[in-house]
Amino acid sequence: MRNKLLYVLAGVAAVLLARNIYLIAGLPDEAAQGAIFKIIFFHVPLAITAFCCGTVACIASILYLVKKDMKYDTVAVSVTEVGLAFLAGNLITGSIWARVIWGIWWAWDVRLTSALVCWILYASYLMIRHAIEEPTQRATLAAVVSIFAFLDIPIVILSIRLFRTQHPGPVFLSSTGSFPHDWTMIIFGPLGNQLALLLIATVMTMVRLGQEQSQREIDALRREAHAF
Amino acid sequence: MHLFSPILLAQAVSPDDIQREYERLQHNFHFLSYGLIVAWLVLAVYVMMMVGRERRLKREIASLKAMLEERQHK
Repeated sequence: MRNKLLYVLAGVAAVLLARNIYLIAGLPDEAAQGAIFKIIFFHVPLAITAFCCGTVACIASILYLVKKDMKYDTVAVSVTEVGLAFLAGNLITGSIWARVIWGIWWAWDVRLTSALVCWILYASYLMIRHAIEEPTQRATLAAVVSIFAFLDIPIVILSIRLFRTQHPGPVFLSSTGSFPHDWTMIIFGPLGNQLALLLIATVMTMVRLGQEQSQREIDALRREAHAF
Repeated sequence: MHLFSPILLAQAVSPDDIQREYERLQHNFHFLSYGLIVAWLVLAVYVMMMVGRERRLKREIASLKAMLEERQHK
């Protein structure tokens, strides 16, 4: 049943992506930036997906600290790892976009720096987990780190509103933005790229959850083997 | 007559300008391709890592179960 659901979700995501890539390829180039501007159709959904993963990880970590149930720790680690991959994609696409438009690969402005710090925080969350052997201690410390790392997400989101940055200001759902409605729908519409990437992240998280459960089974078998 | 009529614009644009604009668009398109390839490559590498981990976990579970069964028979 679980595998069937995985295949269905992955199939829907693939169809949505194919549809959106077809639509994006047919759009005209942006007047000032040219073709490179089309990278926004992946750059922004990658970031939003990563931040959704961070939010779920934070909620799961809080629930773990309250209920001390290892299943919440499993959810937190699975979703964090997937979010890290998506945030890496966002940072890389942003850097390539910057190289064309700004002439530089990176600028140490608040948006870019806070996004990089966010990636480093979640990477350290995973490293801390590898460093601690005892499961309960590992889950507790990791939950605290996950909540701390989540604090950076609002900073990343609000940085372009609160500070003067090299990164452009908000263009979606904002009074200052001028993103055409039909282009916005390709990202945020009911069949948009955002939904496609969220579905991919969900599939990856479900696969990762299964692996964490297998890891716990291995730990139980090891304990049994030691007991002999 | 409008200052930016197509005829006047065509007279103002030299073949060098067209070549430069063509190169700029090509450059833009190449970087768009690099960006999208790298973004998907990151996710593909992560999926491959997950596949590798899945295989390792299955192998480990099978070997542990086999070891436990062997011990029980003894």
